[in-house]
Amino acid sequence: MTRRTVARALVYLSLILATLVVLLPLTVVFLTSLKSSKEMANGSGALALPDDPLNFDNYVTAFRDGQMLSAFGNTAIILVVAVGGTILIGSMTAYAIDRFHFRFRKLVVALFLLAALVPGVTTQVATFQIVNSFGMFDSLWAPIALYMGTDIVSIYIFLQFIRSIPVSLDEAARLDGANAFAIYRKVIFPLLKPAIATVVIVKGINVYNDFYIPFLYMPSEDLGVISTSLFRFKGPFGAHWETISAGAVLVILPTLLVFLFLQRFIYNGFTRGATK
Amino acid sequence: MNRRKVLAGSIATLALLASACTGTGGSSRGADAEAPDDPSEVKGSITVLTHRTDLVQDGTMKKYAAEFNKTYPGVKVEFDGLTDYEGEVKIRMNTENYGDVLMIPAVIQKKDYPKFFASLGTKAERGAKYRFTDYSTVDGKVYGQSPVGVVPGFIYNKKVWSQAGVTDWPTTPAEFLDDLKAIKSKTDAVPYYTNFKDMWPLTQWTNVNGSVSCDTGATTELAEGDPWAEGADLRVGDTLLHDIVSGGLAEKDPTTTNWEGSKPKLAKGEIATMWLGSWAVVQMQDAAEQAGTDPADIGFMPFPAQREGAFCAVTSPDYQQAVNVNSDHKEAARAWIDWFTDKSGYAAANLALSPLKDAPLPDILQPYEEKGVKLIDLDDSKGAEVKAIDNQSEVGIYKPDYRQELVDLARGARGGGLDDYLGDLGKRWAEARNSLGS
Amino acid sequence: MTDTTRKAARPVAPAAPAGPKRAAPAPRRTRLSRRLTPWLFLVAPLALLLTFTYAPIANMLAYSFTDWDGVSPELNWTGTENYTELLTRSELFEVFFVSGYYLVASVVQIVLALYFATVLSFNVRFRNFFKGVLFFPYLINGVAIGFVFLYFFQDGGTLDSVLSLLGVGTDHAWLGTPFSANTSLAGVSVWRYLGLNFVLFLGAIQSIPGELYEAAEIDGASRWHQFRYIIAPGIKPILGLSVILSVSGSLSVFEIPYIMTGGATGTETFVIQTVKLAFQFNKTGLASAAAVVLLLIVLAVTWVQRRIVPDEKVDLV
Repeated sequence: MTRRTVARALVYLSLILATLVVLLPLTVVFLTSLKSSKEMANGSGALALPDDPLNFDNYVTAFRDGQMLSAFGNTAIILVVAVGGTILIGSMTAYAIDRFHFRFRKLVVALFLLAALVPGVTTQVATFQIVNSFGMFDSLWAPIALYMGTDIVSIYIFLQFIRSIPVSLDEAARLDGANAFAIYRKVIFPLLKPAIATVVIVKGINVYNDFYIPFLYMPSEDLGVISTSLFRFKGPFGAHWETISAGAVLVILPTLLVFLFLQRFIYNGFTRGATK
Repeated sequence: MNRRKVLAGSIATLALLASACTGTGGSSRGADAEAPDDPSEVKGSITVLTHRTDLVQDGTMKKYAAEFNKTYPGVKVEFDGLTDYEGEVKIRMNTENYGDVLMIPAVIQKKDYPKFFASLGTKAERGAKYRFTDYSTVDGKVYGQSPVGVVPGFIYNKKVWSQAGVTDWPTTPAEFLDDLKAIKSKTDAVPYYTNFKDMWPLTQWTNVNGSVSCDTGATTELAEGDPWAEGADLRVGDTLLHDIVSGGLAEKDPTTTNWEGSKPKLAKGEIATMWLGSWAVVQMQDAAEQAGTDPADIGFMPFPAQREGAFCAVTSPDYQQAVNVNSDHKEAARAWIDWFTDKSGYAAANLALSPLKDAPLPDILQPYEEKGVKLIDLDDSKGAEVKAIDNQSEVGIYKPDYRQELVDLARGARGGGLDDYLGDLGKRWAEARNSLGS
Repeated sequence: MTDTTRKAARPVAPAAPAGPKRAAPAPRRTRLSRRLTPWLFLVAPLALLLTFTYAPIANMLAYSFTDWDGVSPELNWTGTENYTELLTRSELFEVFFVSGYYLVASVVQIVLALYFATVLSFNVRFRNFFKGVLFFPYLINGVAIGFVFLYFFQDGGTLDSVLSLLGVGTDHAWLGTPFSANTSLAGVSVWRYLGLNFVLFLGAIQSIPGELYEAAEIDGASRWHQFRYIIAPGIKPILGLSVILSVSGSLSVFEIPYIMTGGATGTETFVIQTVKLAFQFNKTGLASAAAVVLLLIVLAVTWVQRRIVPDEKVDLV
């Protein structure tokens, strides 16, 4: 009996400890974001509470001078178009691979599989030449095309899901005179809703957090997305941890809100994304 | 062999890529950027790539553009501030899409300048008026112009140094170390700050080259000799840096330094000294004003070495502005470079040496004049070879890595001794030179 | 659900006449169109895949046989010279020792994730709260994480403050020695990625039918036995996947050390080294060869794993 109690206590202790480890770095950054530059200059310790807990000046600075508003706008556009495109492309690919037997099918599958293993940083020079030759450099199209064109995970998720849709449905529709495209559009696609939710979440978070692609392909300042805008804080605000912290909190906040409201979908999304 | 051909051949199966194979290569659109005759006639929109993201962000560059438009009303100037200038420009230069005006990045080999940039004129005509034309001359034609000249040196807080009882500039590295020790024992300031984490400040140490030996042929020496031979300029500089760190005279934790943060610290006297260049003085003075301390406390001194009783300081160009050979608005681009170099007041605003030969020395260098510091221009005819050896050997004298290792060595985070380390650098240097066959 | 209504609707439509009519007149054309159909669906995805993934890889392969500097219009075929140089310069592979730190870290990460997943699969108070807290770091923007932990490890930053609060005043430079720096960075990596492993394990555990536990409870099996005989077999596929991802991830670590130290003080990884070869020393040819080698190593690791743990569940085909 006592051994069980001790074990239970240890379990809770470990959970609380883990919670502290996770939350501490974030809390400190949040606290720092509420401090004035004077407090920081006077050596306010990392764990010290801000003098005025409602001091949102740094957020104003970050939002205005750091151009976070246009950054959120650009991110939103890329997010919507790229995720929408990924859904179309991913589901079409999965449909073709799972429902048809054609020559080179294995090769196609292998091509998609192999692509997931390439360390992307190393091929950037060549990728850049290609993106530029399409005239997409320094426009929102560059990240959109790259996100749509190099996504393997979503294909994988759709593939897993399509497999669980009985082929008899296709057959029935075919007997009704539907061609392959109509089957995809009217039968398969509507049944993919849970998989689509998964892809929206997994892909959406990836796009929201990606840094390297917008950094490289959209140097214009008015094309900043949240990652690159936050990164640019390093220059002008380099000595002002309070502003950098405010920027970091601004970037994390939407993620936190989405997470709180869509928790269950997110867990399912990631679980399904890797297993099924 | 032409790169395009190799590529096209090796990936012919990927027809999609065919459209990608149209980037650089010989331009037939004329390789000269002529200065326009009538300013009001010049039309077009140009993009200027710059590493000064701070000036883009705070609107200073826009003010320059507005001023420029008073003379050239038909030209629209836009700026791309690149945070990682070298890395990003290198990738963009694989295409034709690298702005109209840009700073020549270090990656471009000198002999390739005509393929990437439009000429600004002959060496003969430009050399009479401007400094540093040597650095971008290929076959008698000049391809770039730096808007400022810089002089390397120690930025120091005068108040802290005099508190420690030091009033005269040290004349030898040993004296310099003694002074830093005095600062350590008599004041609360960190005697020397490496800016290790931000990396590029460490590359500034390569600018000791020439200042120690007072030799205008110092760059040729690098190409032909061992930069780390006993008494060679780089060895003297690197040894001093090593001794500063191993003597405990640098900041406690170099791995989390912060360049932006170091400026107010120096202004407030929390940091006594940093090896940078004349270009940094204005930034420190701004920081002093913001921190409410006296900008006049910011001092500037040459490297502690003398030849025949005089200090020497090397003048060198900053990034050189050039016109993209593929630009559709070469006249407008040329107009911008001319205006920015001659009339913008950029050099004066940065307290830097003017690129114009007949301009007076900036105020910050007045003490240099008084104390008889000799300003010398290095001969850069072997500059391209030095770069080639540097890359081949992967030593990186213009890169931060080897000095980071040096600092790690000095503070015991890396095994080995100084002599072995510098000896090894010399060996790699010699091997690289041999393999390049020069 | 939609599928039942569709099934119900099927017999109503007179399918019989439609079928033969379509099949009879032009069997060859039907066969052709039947063969073409999948390609119609694949044309856009394949075009994007080839353009943005395989064309660059082909280029990279081509560059790896040249001495290209990354920007000059001129380059020379050098045959396999780059590969010879790579293989004869052992110091270029020393950076894989750094991967060791991340490998150890990912073992820690998997064990911790497994522990928390098991614990939270049982009835625990505030279960959803703990679950959320453990998972959330995985969702955070990498740049923000870089800033958060730069502040964390600073002299007088978060870590130092906490330690002095606990009475362990120290002025240890956390990123100051290779061991300390790599351990710190690997720690950040665990902090960031633990959540994903944890949620995957938890999902796998929860998909195990509840009756199994009930039966075990009745049989008087201890928690350990429940773990050993019910949970462990249930999560084996996902565990295998996690291990393989960890190994290849450890070999190609890039983002965290690049943002936080830039590879200084012995924290350089193979990818950082490759990027430096390409961008600092302008040896794009050699760097491409290094990237090809890394790709081959990652492929080999994947292949070995498939051999050892054959597992149709995580297989695509």
